[in-house]
Amino acid sequence: MWTSRPWGRQTPRTREGADGSAPGRAPEALVLLCSVGAAAVAVAQPLVLGRTLDLLLRDGDAGRWLPLSAGLLLGELLLDSLTSLFTGRCNAVWTASIRSRALRGLLRAVPDSARPHPPGDVGTRLTLNAADAGGAPAARAALGASLITPLGALVALAFVDVWVAACVLTGLPALALVLRTFARDTGASVAAYQRTQSLIASRLLEALDGAATIGAAGTGDRERARILAPLAELAAQGRHMWALHGRALGRSNVLVPLLTLAATAVGGLRLAAGHLSVGDLLAACRYAQLAAGIGGAATLLGALVRAREARRRTQELEWMPPLKYGSRRLPQDGPGELELRGVRVVRDGRQVLRADHLRVPGGSTVAVVGRSGAGKSVLAAVAGRLIDPDEGHVLLDGVPLDRLTREALRTEVAYAFERPVLGEGTIAEAVATGSRQPAPEQVRHAALAAGADSFVQRLPHGYDTPLAEAPLSGGEHQRLGLARAFAHAGRLLVMDDATSSLDTATEHEVNLALRRSVRRGTRLVVAHRPSVADRADLVLWLEAGEVRAVGTHRELWHRAGYRAVFGTDTGGTGAEDVTPGDEPVRRHEPEEVRP
Amino acid sequence: MTSAGYGAARALDADGPRDDGTGALSRLAPPARRFLARRKGVLARLALWSLAESGQAFLVGYGVARSVDEGFLAGDPRRGLLWLAVALVAVLSGAPVVRGVFAQLAGLTEPLRDGLVRRAVDRSLDRAARGGPGGTDRAAVSRLTNQVEIARDSFAGLVLTLRSFVFTAAGALLGLLSLNPALLVVVLPPLTGGLALFLCTLRPMAAAQRRALATDEALGDHAARSRAALRDLTACGTGPRAERRGADLVADAAAQARTLAGWATVRTAALGVSGQLPVLALLVAVPWLRARGVSAGALLGAFTYLVQSLLPALHTLMTALGAAGARLLVVLDRVLGPVPDAAPRATGPSQAVSTACHGRGCGTGARASADVVRPVPGPAAPAVDLRSVTLSYGVRAEPVLDALDLRVAPGEHLAVVGPSGIGKSTLTRLVAGTLAPSRGEVRVAGHLVTGRAAAELSALRVLVPQEAYVFSGTVGDNLAYLRTDVRRGELDAAVRVLGLELLVGRLGGLAGPVRPAELSPGERQLIALARAYLSPAPLLLLDEATCHLDPASEARAEEALTARPGTLLVVAHRLSSAVRADRILVLDGVRAVCGTHEELLGCSRLYRDLTGHWQAGPPQRV
Repeated sequence: MWTSRPWGRQTPRTREGADGSAPGRAPEALVLLCSVGAAAVAVAQPLVLGRTLDLLLRDGDAGRWLPLSAGLLLGELLLDSLTSLFTGRCNAVWTASIRSRALRGLLRAVPDSARPHPPGDVGTRLTLNAADAGGAPAARAALGASLITPLGALVALAFVDVWVAACVLTGLPALALVLRTFARDTGASVAAYQRTQSLIASRLLEALDGAATIGAAGTGDRERARILAPLAELAAQGRHMWALHGRALGRSNVLVPLLTLAATAVGGLRLAAGHLSVGDLLAACRYAQLAAGIGGAATLLGALVRAREARRRTQELEWMPPLKYGSRRLPQDGPGELELRGVRVVRDGRQVLRADHLRVPGGSTVAVVGRSGAGKSVLAAVAGRLIDPDEGHVLLDGVPLDRLTREALRTEVAYAFERPVLGEGTIAEAVATGSRQPAPEQVRHAALAAGADSFVQRLPHGYDTPLAEAPLSGGEHQRLGLARAFAHAGRLLVMDDATSSLDTATEHEVNLALRRSVRRGTRLVVAHRPSVADRADLVLWLEAGEVRAVGTHRELWHRAGYRAVFGTDTGGTGAEDVTPGDEPVRRHEPEEVRP
Repeated sequence: MTSAGYGAARALDADGPRDDGTGALSRLAPPARRFLARRKGVLARLALWSLAESGQAFLVGYGVARSVDEGFLAGDPRRGLLWLAVALVAVLSGAPVVRGVFAQLAGLTEPLRDGLVRRAVDRSLDRAARGGPGGTDRAAVSRLTNQVEIARDSFAGLVLTLRSFVFTAAGALLGLLSLNPALLVVVLPPLTGGLALFLCTLRPMAAAQRRALATDEALGDHAARSRAALRDLTACGTGPRAERRGADLVADAAAQARTLAGWATVRTAALGVSGQLPVLALLVAVPWLRARGVSAGALLGAFTYLVQSLLPALHTLMTALGAAGARLLVVLDRVLGPVPDAAPRATGPSQAVSTACHGRGCGTGARASADVVRPVPGPAAPAVDLRSVTLSYGVRAEPVLDALDLRVAPGEHLAVVGPSGIGKSTLTRLVAGTLAPSRGEVRVAGHLVTGRAAAELSALRVLVPQEAYVFSGTVGDNLAYLRTDVRRGELDAAVRVLGLELLVGRLGGLAGPVRPAELSPGERQLIALARAYLSPAPLLLLDEATCHLDPASEARAEEALTARPGTLLVVAHRLSSAVRADRILVLDGVRAVCGTHEELLGCSRLYRDLTGHWQAGPPQRV
């Protein structure tokens, strides 16, 4: 694959590793080959160079030894460069493969299973962690080579002179000791520094949250001083950190030259005694230095350990339980009848939903009510297959949802959420997002129905305003999510608390529009307000994950437990709605067809 | 090595300038020069310490050379050991020298960090003050601390390696010169050749590094966004599209990584040329050097200089300049570079249906001339006076408020109602003077507010927004925020009258610490309301400032604020709050109608809808 292409050229659309296939052993093997070669050359070099120098000093002519030295020097140059190239390419292909697999795992997963991973964390896993993990094969190959150099150097040193070798061997443990104190010293001061830093950050955050108040009160300068007050302390801690760093580094920097110097002293004495030549001394000094490089192997080992941990983190994404789709389609012109049979949903060992037999007639509007934690959103998620039930089946017009193709399911079931995530692009693109691409006038129409058109018109570029530049409130966001659902409404529309941020007047208008101008179908509406329940054909009252009762709002309103659901759930904010205890007053619009 | 690198990748935000780095370099050069010019003392001391470092490098090589020449080879091991002892002293003196270098380094990095933190805080506060989109950017804060640390570390790394290379190289070259000038003739050509090759790769390599960081950042953002939208992607069936986009980004990142690998290869070759070739040149030139009287010890010293001093310095230089340099450039440009224009500005006058709301009585919603000013009851200077105020967020955009006239008499209590997103908050911001109208004028107590300084404005009015501002500090500090010289008795009275006793008691009295995250939204709003209650300003603007209170607490708070001398303008979240007002302004995007509750029930269909749209029969007082 990669050998067929010159390295310098950019090939942005090649799929090396990007299709998620494992890159195989070849890239790794090349790294191993080159780095072992480079290590062998590095070990041979001092001996040959020393010999060459001796011959040159003695005879002025080294014969074959000079070309050999040149070969070794140039060979190391070449092999090092190749190692660097192959390492880079090996890392690139492995990183791409790991990233693709992790991203695919994430995007095909049951959305609910991604709960433990916040977005920033996923970003880190796919960039940093994947890169760390992708470095593992090359690091493994390099580790082998990195052991060859110091060990080979020690052996070669023993071959040159056994006394110098002994001197180096005794000095090595001291090196490890100094490196360890380094980590111990810096740990505590780094923690203090980070604490002060986060203090500044959290004060800034508070002030950002209160920007409107601060701006209006003209207290910006006071706030600035308050936020930056810990800066002096931070600077002091920073200086302390550098001082510690300098002390530790000073100590460890002394060690390798010291070791080399000791080797030189022993070698020099052996030279004076006639046991060694000048070239031998040169070789001995170099070998001492190479042997001290055993610390490099520790770095690689650390990288490998980190890579393994990173790989585990990317695999958590890769192996998330997938939401698989079937191959069936829905019957033409079905009414959108929804049926739950023996459905159980268990989360963390606790049953959060049980619906033994539940039938929502096609074309009807069903309100799902209950206290928070009663299982309303779980029911909404099961009804349109955002999760699969642990037991039982959910059927739409007689077809189990998990047998449907992705296209069939997602074009016929639309969702509106309490907090929709609208993605990137313009307002129009956000509303148009879905398995079907609605026309611009359909987008406008849906936005009108969702009560979004009026504020979109006020944005700098109307529907073409990029979302990132649109100053939207939570309620406006919610209405765009509604518009998206309306623009893609199929035979089932699930609204999971999708009008909670709207005031009652707007919600009322949205409901009218929903009835008049959005494609007719079955509606499953999770609601907290009695007005919504009242407008529904049927109310599904959930409690502790079980269906407590099914009936009309008017029938259920006589039960104190039912009324209490709205009393606590709405808190104070439902004041314009019915106050608990009042008899519900029927609306004056014509009734919908009852099931 | 967890989030810092990701932070670096994220550093290239979408709104940032994208170029090959030359733009950033020219943008950053002047502030960088100023920064360094102000620290000449530190730089001089750093140079002195570095000089000591190169002196040390020089002594080590020199000592080794002399020990061989005059000691071991000359049959005088004692003299040899003596020279080695000189080298030993030089090596040991390295530790204090490194300490001195780091002390001076702190004199550069810490001021840099302070400056960057200040700048970043200013920028975030400014951006928030201008009302940037999307609410508080929490990620920006964490990125900010990350970025500042990345800049600090990269800068430190760069200073250390550059300095160390320059002085070590100088020391080693000086050493070679002192051993024999002929050595320089042999060593310098390959050394400078390799360095030149390296310098040539610097710019393309930095550009490649920037591109790689950018693609990484794009991929990270895509992954984070996909995760945030996973439920929506699944529900919309657009997962495969996100997957394809992800695969493209992964392929892009891999291509960039391969390009980088190519440049890394060139860099390694450059390192080899400047590191290995001098050794080879020295070997080849041995007969020539010997002919010029270069001793065996001098040759050994030369090798020591090359292998022990120059090669490691070269190695770190090439690693640091490639990676840290590009990163520093990116991050500094992010923190210091031009500010992306965040908030849409209110622009342009527009012709539209004007609406009227004059004094008491019901505006009809018919066209009314903007110039018409009807007499109003009460004192000459109304507490709030809006004259044909228009505001739109863009030339093409429909106006949010359109030729609105409004007068509020001193001492009056006015409520503003209307569907969400219709411009109620905009109205309070206009009155508060934190937003300038596209057309028309806004007066508070007779003073024009547009363009007035925040300090003057704060004497006229208090704005309490929906998101109550509470900061880490004592309860007393928080309450006295708008009137720092308030007396203890007044504080206690405010606590009592707004029903804050329980909360203040729980926090440990007025001197007790407030930790904003531990307060409920309602408690935060109560604190903000008490603060407004204590303010000396005659006009209170409440923008849904009671939305998290239960109805009873809300009523109590509003009663207290109404009883306070001065004018009250309330954007009502609930109608129960509006009904308490003297007059109500109904905004519906096309018309503005103003009147008492009863009047509005008669003439505003929207108001009827708002009060009892789903109740049968005639709407009634709630």
